[in-house]
Amino acid sequence: MLEIFEMEFMQRAWIAGMIMAVICPLIGSFLVLRRQSLIGDGLGHIAFAGVAAGALGGYSPVISAAVATVLGALAIERVRSRLAASAEMILAIFFYCGMGLAVVFTSINKEGGFNLGSILFGSLMTVSGSDLLIVAVLGLCTILFVALYYRPLQYLTFDEVSARVAGLPVDKLNMLLAVLTALTVALSMRIVGLLLVSAMMVIPVACALQTAKSFASTILQSIFYGLVSVVLGLVISYYANLAPGGTIVLTETALFIGSIFFGRKKTGLQKPQQHHCHICEEEKANEG
Amino acid sequence: MEKIIRIEDLGFDYGEGWVFHKLNLEIEQGDFVAVIGANGAGKSTLLKMLAHVTQPTQGDIYYYGVPVEKFDNWEKIGYVPQNPARQQRDFPISVREVIALGLLNKTSLLHRPNQADRQRLEELLKYFDLQELQHRKIGELSGGQQQRVFLARAMVKQPEILLLDEPATGVDTAAKISLYAMLKRINREQGVTVVMVSHDLDLAADAARNALCLDHGICFWGEVHAALKHHHRHGYFYR
Repeated sequence: MLEIFEMEFMQRAWIAGMIMAVICPLIGSFLVLRRQSLIGDGLGHIAFAGVAAGALGGYSPVISAAVATVLGALAIERVRSRLAASAEMILAIFFYCGMGLAVVFTSINKEGGFNLGSILFGSLMTVSGSDLLIVAVLGLCTILFVALYYRPLQYLTFDEVSARVAGLPVDKLNMLLAVLTALTVALSMRIVGLLLVSAMMVIPVACALQTAKSFASTILQSIFYGLVSVVLGLVISYYANLAPGGTIVLTETALFIGSIFFGRKKTGLQKPQQHHCHICEEEKANEG
Repeated sequence: MEKIIRIEDLGFDYGEGWVFHKLNLEIEQGDFVAVIGANGAGKSTLLKMLAHVTQPTQGDIYYYGVPVEKFDNWEKIGYVPQNPARQQRDFPISVREVIALGLLNKTSLLHRPNQADRQRLEELLKYFDLQELQHRKIGELSGGQQQRVFLARAMVKQPEILLLDEPATGVDTAAKISLYAMLKRINREQGVTVVMVSHDLDLAADAARNALCLDHGICFWGEVHAALKHHHRHGYFYR
C-alpha cells in the first residue's frame, strides 16, 4: 500500500477531506445560485468573533464559534428575506461587525487562548478521532437534509416568489439552510480552516456551472470537482511538503480554469455563431 | 356562474398615500380578466396580494368564499411570475426540471414524481410544444419559449385559476400573439379562470372578457372594452 494511505493521521486527513468535499459543494450549490457566494467567508468572520469570545470567557472555541455563526446566519437570513434590495450591503456590515468584535475581544484577552493560524488555515494532518466524528455527523445531517428537501430547495433557489405561492415553507427551509451553512463553517474550522471551507463551498460549484446542463448535474458535478481537488491537493501537498489547505484551494482554482475551456468547447461557445442570410448570399453570387 | 374570487374594500399603501383603495369586485368561474393601467398603479402588487405574497393595507380577498389567509387549497391556483429566468440567464436548470417544480406544494413537500406525474409532464411538454427543448437550460431559450415553460409549470396541477404577472414582458410580437392565443385556448377549452396583468392593450382586449383598470388610485371594473375606453379617456389625464 502507498505510504500516503498507511499512516493513521493521513487516513483521518483523507476521510475528513472527502467528507468536506461532499458537504461543502452540496450546500454551496444553493448558496452560489442564490448569489450568496461570499456568505461562507462572511460567516467565517463571525466564527472568528465567536472563537475570540470563547477564549475570553473560557468556553470551548468550537461551541462558541458554532453559537455565534448560527445566530449570525439566522440574523443575515432575516435581513435577506426582508430587505432584498440592500441585503448585500447589510451582509457586509454583519461581517465587518464580526471582525470588529473579534479584534476587540482579542485585545481585551491578555492571556491568548487560541491560535489564529489554525483557525484560518486549519490542519488536515492533525485531525483527531473526535474531530472526525463531528464532521461525519455534520455530513450525514447535510446529506439527509438535501436528499429530503432537494426539490423544495431547488424551487426556492430558482424562484422564491413562486415557491411561496405554491405554499412551500420557504422561511423555514431558508432558516435550516442558514443553520447548516453556519454549522459547516464553525465545526470544520479547526479541521480545514475558515478559508478552505468557504473556498470549497464556492469553487467546485463554479467549475460545475461551466459544464452542467441541469440543477441535479450541477450538484453532482460540483461534488465530483470537490473530491478530485481534495485527492489531488492532498497527494501534491504530501509529496511536495506543502500546506494541504492551500494546495487544495489552488487545485480547485486550476480545475476551474480548466472547466472554463472544457465548458466552452462543450457548448460550442468558443467561436461566435455564423448566421447566413440567403438574400445576401444570392447578391454576393450575382456580384461575382 | 359561481363567483370564485371576491375582493372587498381592498387598498394598498406603501406609506406615501394610497396606491389604490376601496377596490371591490367579484370574478366568476371561467372569466378572463386583464388588469391594466399605468406603471406604478399597483397592478403587480394586486396580483401578489391575490397570490398571498404581499399583504393588503386594508380589505380582504376570498377564494371560494374562504379568506386568502385561511385558504389552503393552493393546488387550485397556478402562478406565472414576471420571467425569473431573465435575471438568471446562467441558472443551471433544464426546461423539464422547471416544469416539474409545479408538482410541489405545501402537502407534497417530500413527494417524488411517480408514473402519473411523469405522464402529466409529457402531456404538458407536448401541449406547450416544448418536447424538443426539454433538456436545454432555461436561460438558453428565447423570452417567448421561457414564458411557455412557466405557463406549463403553472398548469401541472391542473389549476382552476391562473394568475399571470405581465407574462409577455420582454417577448417579441409574434411570441406575444402566440402566448395570448394559448392563454385564450386554456381559458375557453379548459375553463380555467385567468387573471392577468398586462400592458398589451390590444391583445388583452382580444383575449379578456372583463378588465380592471387601475390608474393612480382610480379603479374601473367592467367589460374589457369599456375598461379600455376608460383607460384611454381618463388614464392619461390622471397622470
